[in-house]
Amino acid sequence: MKVAYIDNQAYKIIEGESILDFLRRHLGPYPVPTLCDAPNLDPFGSCRVCSVDVALEKGGKTKALASCHTPISAGQYIYPDSENIQRLRKNIVELVLTDHPLDCLTCEVNGNCALQSVAYKVGIRDVRYPEGKNHLDRQKDLSHAYLTSDLSKCINCYRCVRACDEVQGQFVLSMAGRGFDSKIIKGMDVDFSGSECVSCGACVQACPTSAISDIFESKSLVKRDTTRTICTYCGVGCNLDVATLNGEIKSILAPYDAEVNQGHTCLKGRYAFSFYNHPDRLRDPLIKRNGIFETVSWDEAYSFITDKLTYYKDNFGPDSIAGISSSRCTNEENYLMQKFMRAVIGTNNIDGCARVCHSPTALGMQRAFGTGAATNSISDLKQTDCMMVIGANPTEAHPVTGVKIKQQAMKGKTLIVIDPRKTELAKYADFHLALRPGTNVAVLNMIMYYIISEGWVDEAFISSRTEGYEEYKNEILRLDVEEMERISGVKKELVREAAQAYSAAPNAMLFHGLGVTEHSQGTFMVQLISDLAMVTGNIGRKGVGVNPLRGQNNVQGSADMGVQPHQGAGYLDITSPEINEKYALFYGVNVPSEIGYKIPEMFEAGLDKKLKAIWIIGEDVVQTDPNTQKVIKALENIDLVIVQELFMTETAKYADVILPGASFFEKNGTFTNGERRIQRVNKVVNPIGNAKPDGQIIIDVMNRMGYKQKDYDAESMLEEISQIVPFFAGVTWKRLGINGLQWPVKPDGKDTKIMHVDSFANGAGKISYFDFEESAEIIENGKEFPYILTTNRDLEHYNCGAMTRRTNNVLINTEDVLLINPIDAGQNGINDGDMVCVESARGKVDIKAQVTEKVKSGVLSTTFHFPEIMVNNITSDISDSEAQCPEYKVVSVAIRKARKTEFRNAGEMTE
Amino acid sequence: MSKNLSYLSGKKGIVNNLFERIGEASIEEGTPSKEALKKLADEFLVGDSSTYGAATFYDFTKPGNKDKEVYICNGSACMCAGTQNALKNEIEAVVDANKIGHITCLGRCHENGAFQYKNHNYSNLSKEEIKELFKNQPFKQNDRYKVGVLGTPVLTKNTGRTEEYYAILDTVLNKQDSNKVLEQIKKSGLRGRGGAGFPIGFKLESAKNTKATTKFIVCNADEGDPGAYSDRYLMEERPHTLLLGMILAGYAVGAEWGILYVRKEYPESIRILEKAISEIRDLGYTGSSILNSGFNFNFKIIKGQGAYICGEETALLSSIEGQRPEVRIRPPFPTQEGLFNLPTVVNNVETLASLPFIIKNGGEAFDKIGTEKSSGTKLISLDSFFNRPGIYEVDMGTPLKTVIDNLGGGFKRPVKAMHIGGPLGGLVPVSKINELSIDFESFAENGFLLGHASIIGIPESFPMIKYIEHLFSFTAVESCGKCFPCRLGSVRGEELLHKAESENYKIDRELFDDLLDTLEQGSLCALGGGLPLPVKNALMYFEDELKIYFN
Repeated sequence: MKVAYIDNQAYKIIEGESILDFLRRHLGPYPVPTLCDAPNLDPFGSCRVCSVDVALEKGGKTKALASCHTPISAGQYIYPDSENIQRLRKNIVELVLTDHPLDCLTCEVNGNCALQSVAYKVGIRDVRYPEGKNHLDRQKDLSHAYLTSDLSKCINCYRCVRACDEVQGQFVLSMAGRGFDSKIIKGMDVDFSGSECVSCGACVQACPTSAISDIFESKSLVKRDTTRTICTYCGVGCNLDVATLNGEIKSILAPYDAEVNQGHTCLKGRYAFSFYNHPDRLRDPLIKRNGIFETVSWDEAYSFITDKLTYYKDNFGPDSIAGISSSRCTNEENYLMQKFMRAVIGTNNIDGCARVCHSPTALGMQRAFGTGAATNSISDLKQTDCMMVIGANPTEAHPVTGVKIKQQAMKGKTLIVIDPRKTELAKYADFHLALRPGTNVAVLNMIMYYIISEGWVDEAFISSRTEGYEEYKNEILRLDVEEMERISGVKKELVREAAQAYSAAPNAMLFHGLGVTEHSQGTFMVQLISDLAMVTGNIGRKGVGVNPLRGQNNVQGSADMGVQPHQGAGYLDITSPEINEKYALFYGVNVPSEIGYKIPEMFEAGLDKKLKAIWIIGEDVVQTDPNTQKVIKALENIDLVIVQELFMTETAKYADVILPGASFFEKNGTFTNGERRIQRVNKVVNPIGNAKPDGQIIIDVMNRMGYKQKDYDAESMLEEISQIVPFFAGVTWKRLGINGLQWPVKPDGKDTKIMHVDSFANGAGKISYFDFEESAEIIENGKEFPYILTTNRDLEHYNCGAMTRRTNNVLINTEDVLLINPIDAGQNGINDGDMVCVESARGKVDIKAQVTEKVKSGVLSTTFHFPEIMVNNITSDISDSEAQCPEYKVVSVAIRKARKTEFRNAGEMTE
Repeated sequence: MSKNLSYLSGKKGIVNNLFERIGEASIEEGTPSKEALKKLADEFLVGDSSTYGAATFYDFTKPGNKDKEVYICNGSACMCAGTQNALKNEIEAVVDANKIGHITCLGRCHENGAFQYKNHNYSNLSKEEIKELFKNQPFKQNDRYKVGVLGTPVLTKNTGRTEEYYAILDTVLNKQDSNKVLEQIKKSGLRGRGGAGFPIGFKLESAKNTKATTKFIVCNADEGDPGAYSDRYLMEERPHTLLLGMILAGYAVGAEWGILYVRKEYPESIRILEKAISEIRDLGYTGSSILNSGFNFNFKIIKGQGAYICGEETALLSSIEGQRPEVRIRPPFPTQEGLFNLPTVVNNVETLASLPFIIKNGGEAFDKIGTEKSSGTKLISLDSFFNRPGIYEVDMGTPLKTVIDNLGGGFKRPVKAMHIGGPLGGLVPVSKINELSIDFESFAENGFLLGHASIIGIPESFPMIKYIEHLFSFTAVESCGKCFPCRLGSVRGEELLHKAESENYKIDRELFDDLLDTLEQGSLCALGGGLPLPVKNALMYFEDELKIYFN
């Protein structure tokens, strides 16, 4: 055993650790004072206050060494607090104080300032230097919607610069000048709002003083109560420490001990919380009478609903009623909603937002691997050698995962991006396959063609773990590569190189997003991606796998809980008699065994007057589902539309009854992130007004309709779920702890970081071939509408924007814009900032143009965060052949400069 | 020291170099436009704060350099010689004062009155010559200094015909294993001449043993130490010893690139090296598969942009990468993760230029020269206080007195001390001359530093308080600003000394000692860490002169 000595006492060392880490392991988290050190940053060595005396023999000649970056060696004698070191630290801090305002009592971070605590630890009593040059007159920067700076308080520790680099990878912050006059800059010495800052706040959290902070004063100690919970803005599942005072949310920081996000999060998680008590929040149940919503009591609302539901159920049968559950809600609530539909109403007409995002992923991966969920964990990025990102823009839509991919790419790991747009990751990619939207299958088949024809396959894996390869191989070798090249617009040589890079990597990870699923061949594409992983043996160990980037915070969980018309809780086949019996026994009532409506079918049924009632929780189908006018018509045709919401969304406007639900800050439960991690959502504040947790609302209705269900309580709900969902067997509220568990969780509580290690859930992995097929949209409308519009997401807004538009995010990103290539803009006489009329076979919308190289000629791109644009007026209702996920990514459009030229401004945007 | 920025810069290779591009963007106006920096940031994916942050660091790219045309040397030798005020007046008479800037040491310490104009250096010009210069096109002025040798001419020996000089390459590259080359170098006991005296063999071996697809030999030709011009001598008068040395080092390590980081203060060195490289490229001694050996070695000259700290090897690497040249922590050592995060050996000009002798004559032959621990020879730069200023090569161990009297011909006018080994070297009072010999150990044992072995005379009339204030000021100006002790301590020290010198103020000696101790123990690199040595020498040997300024 190798040892070194702390104050002459022997302690075990770990090879390669720093003296600071060595001291921490043995003496606790703060063995010596530090200023420039931070938990999620590499050692830097600027402040020198962590210096310790080091001798090679007991009591021998010592040398002061910075403990943060000096490795410990066996036999060293460390004196962390020798008289010499105490004096050195004091002298350094004294120097720092010669250029620091001594206004601690009125400082924002009073009591939570690293400089302050180091100063008192080293015992500074006075500053002996005469007054000299200083930087105390630096002006504050209050230009930004969230971030602030007061560089008179900066101690030049570079923590913010390093956070911007090592954590976010944005390089917005740096230092300018040199020596004493060096100072932190944003961009080229502009203010925060003028810089390319993505507002992640990593610098704020890293800054040891108040030199960089935010409008919420998130480092102030004034707000004392902290609740740890899970972010609601995407499938990454960042842990958040939410600070409250008197029942009000004051600020949010990201906990360093969170396995998912290690002290990082994005501006949505960190800053976009003020929606929760926005004046627009729905605070009471509403019933529409004569076209006007009237406030009613819960009793009245419940009676109204239950009377009507009972009536439709009795007179038109259970299948005249449908429910759309919400991936924003907890697992427990999703479980309850599907249980309500199945056990209380008696229909399988239950679906969720996964239908319009990752339903092809769940289906495709189930077909290939037997399980429709990410095979690996995001932390595997550290072990991988190659990342292939298909149809995903994670630095905007899954920011924390996105920057982790970017960080790996910046460290030299191979990055392949398949995306029609020049996304942030595409800029850093070794290979960017900028295909024409809708031709994923063509490109993937080309990749497979080269891998198989060149023999870059893992024969052992194929023969021992898969089936269908021979047939597949025969099909793929018949591929007309030139034809695929022409169709996709991607040079075959580039495809070949990318294929080689992926297959040559010892460990390669696949990521995909809605650019894969939201296509008419979405499910097939997911199956082909699975083929790619299997044929190259990239399954079942660290640093490999197929890793869908799940969109909504709990979209994985809602499907796990049975929010699907064909599978119940735990993905069990509801058409199977055995399963039906199992559910019936568990729920204590008979349950239906016919597959119910998927969301698009619900609207069809509405238009056909077959559907009488629909209960929609937390989903703005009018703004976000394709072909808006059709959705509106369907809702108008349905007799009873119940909308459970936080805000008066576009969908809520068409409701007959509105039930005020609770935001994630206002309830307990669990969310399951994109890597199957079930994490605890903890209530931070009470529901606003008369709003109730969504689970309680469902339970109230269940009870009123005669089904006994105990009041909503996350812990006991989870217990019920664990008894019916096989892969939740070992899940208990307590066991989830602070970092959750990744399913499948065995009865003993052991969870699963990597799936399919030795075998697939369905035995052998299924390898399947699919021909490329042109989308009907292109075939039918491509001539008349020659441009292809693809819809995407921006970093600052979430989905329909109901929440983020009610925060300062709207000051940063004020509107949906149309990205258009300079060539196309030129040909149509469109200038940057012009309003463009975008027309499809369904309708037209006006959007402001942003002329950019981010899209190639022939391709347009926009977002759907603002109801002013309602871009889904023009999207088509063509959908995936298998899972019926709408084809948002391929919309044939024509463009012309709009007659209307006035700009909207941010003020008009908010409701 | 951002690993991400290192990688992103390296992704473009060394040929399309970010730092070089920032320099090029500064040529027209003295500082790059913001548009140019933004474009570079986009091209290299490093963010505009990175390119702007880097550009604002250097003397010749920072915004304050806009429109500067003439740079007057403010190095220690010119300062002690007292030539610069008059020079400034003369230049101001013919050039707009806004176009005049400063430059720290052009290596014309042997005759002073140094300045740079339109990429040419001048020194010791008459009034008329100055007038003439700014009226007409700039002319080339070859400076003259003595070159002498006492002992074995390892570095000063004429290289003769290029083909003959490089003939050894055929033997080495085609007949010798790289391990054998390394072995000879290790045997020679050659220690780095840049100041630290670290054995080059260790560095080469460590880089050789680090697995990587690309490795680099970087020549630190950022001879920023005021008073030193021996590297300049080698680059301008013996360029092939350096180039051949780098090729040999590259072969020993398995490095494909030799990068010469030459300071912009030495425009003539750059021109001569460029010519020499072009000559050996034509002769096939550099490029792909040199002499059909399969060994590739290419040269690249990177022009410094005015920052003393770039002489520190890790700052130098960051500089090449286009990052701000801030000192990195070690480990990782450059031989493991250096330029672009790849294994890199950084050595000074004189060190690398010693390699041809070692390979041609064997490591033992070199080891035999000099003392037991300091083998080989050493170049000495003597400034204008000597009767025979110039560059002298002596065997290690030669008495300092011999150098001063026999080679330098004694002092021109009375000096009270010599500043030996650069700004961080010791202040040697004349009384100590007899006790010192030219080797690492002798200087260290006596509380001085051999360093670069440059010798600046401090005249008896020059107040010591002003000299140590000058040293603090130099450090304050040149500090990269990364570590707290150097960034803050250098300025506070300068302020204390200035106040004591110009006002009725006495420095608290305990505070001053604390400051020196903080710099020495706390600084990240030798700039802040080395400053206290000459200051302490001054306090010790010139106590009588200095005590009136202290409590």
